[in-house]
Amino acid sequence: MWQVAKNASLHFHSWNDEFVVYNSASGDTHLLGMLAAQSVIRLQDAPSNISDLLDTISQLLQIQPDDELKEMIEKTLIDLSCLGIVENITH
Amino acid sequence: MNVSDLNHSELRSLLKSTGLTLQTGPFITHIQSSISSVSENIALLYADHALAEDNGFADFHVQLAPPGNLRHWFRPQVLFSFDNRIPFKPLPLDQAFPMLEWGMNWCVSGHSHQYLILHAAVLEMQGRAVILPAPPGSGKSTLCAALANRGWRLLSDELTLISKAGGALVPLCRPVSLKNQSIQVIRNFEPTAVLSRAVRDTVKGTVAHMKPPATSVAQSQLTAMPAWIVFPKYQAGAETQLAMQPKSRAFMQMIENAFNYSLLGAQGFHMMTDLIDRCDCYDFTYSNLDEAIAVFADLTPPAI
Repeated sequence: MWQVAKNASLHFHSWNDEFVVYNSASGDTHLLGMLAAQSVIRLQDAPSNISDLLDTISQLLQIQPDDELKEMIEKTLIDLSCLGIVENITH
Repeated sequence: MNVSDLNHSELRSLLKSTGLTLQTGPFITHIQSSISSVSENIALLYADHALAEDNGFADFHVQLAPPGNLRHWFRPQVLFSFDNRIPFKPLPLDQAFPMLEWGMNWCVSGHSHQYLILHAAVLEMQGRAVILPAPPGSGKSTLCAALANRGWRLLSDELTLISKAGGALVPLCRPVSLKNQSIQVIRNFEPTAVLSRAVRDTVKGTVAHMKPPATSVAQSQLTAMPAWIVFPKYQAGAETQLAMQPKSRAFMQMIENAFNYSLLGAQGFHMMTDLIDRCDCYDFTYSNLDEAIAVFADLTPPAI
């Protein structure tokens, strides 16, 4: 299960398919692609597991919810957790 | 009253004694110095600038003076002090005026957080402003000087000040800093441009300053709204090329060129996104100034 990091305070802005996000907690600004940005936006609504994110994002981006997309989402979440934007709360 | 209303002797005497209060855009700088190259260059390059009212107030109090050691007997130096503090190591005396310019930039960029401040030139034509951010070696000042000599109003060569209220660009019209080959390039491009004597062997190489156009100085109270962000890149022999840049990439480059973006926190983020929203963003490669001027003349306002 994943959620937006408890300490994060995120400000988003988007232009076409690219997003910038500012995290007040870290003072860092990040450039996010569509997949990463939409993952964070979904997690802002509520914590979610990979399967639910796969369904939501595949519908949103109108692509097949296959293993490749699932792997991309997993990798994206790990990258985002390294940046302090999301966190894994499975434990 | 302008600097040009003082003769050299009066200016020199004022700088040496009570100090000169110079109005540059929204700031008043109180300058004291007995160094002759400082008074000569202020007379030459700030001739059209107003002297501030002598009511004792100044945003910045700066001094340029030789350090009090024995070194001045064999290698004269100059120290910059700000509010009686000495933020930098001394430089050779010959570099006193460039040091004043760098010191004044440092005063603004480090202490004026009522603005979002970018390391960028800004010029305006017909109410619309172009911002030229300055990654190292970009040829920003050369392009800025050329545009200022071809009808664009100079707001600033070094520091773009963005107002927190409404995102207007606030003029800080001061001399344009030219380095190395760009000094001769501008001399050739506009023989009537007034340039200071070149100073060699500074940390930036050979440096000379160009006097800002009198009309730009006279309009220092007029803000402008941003319309374009152009990332210039001078490349010898390159074809003139203007290419639209995605706004998200422009945003990330702009924060690299901001002095106080991080310090302003979320406010800085929202100011920068507002700025990018208002502007069309481009990468611009050039080697020929006449062609560059023609490209800028053809810039069309963003569709908002």
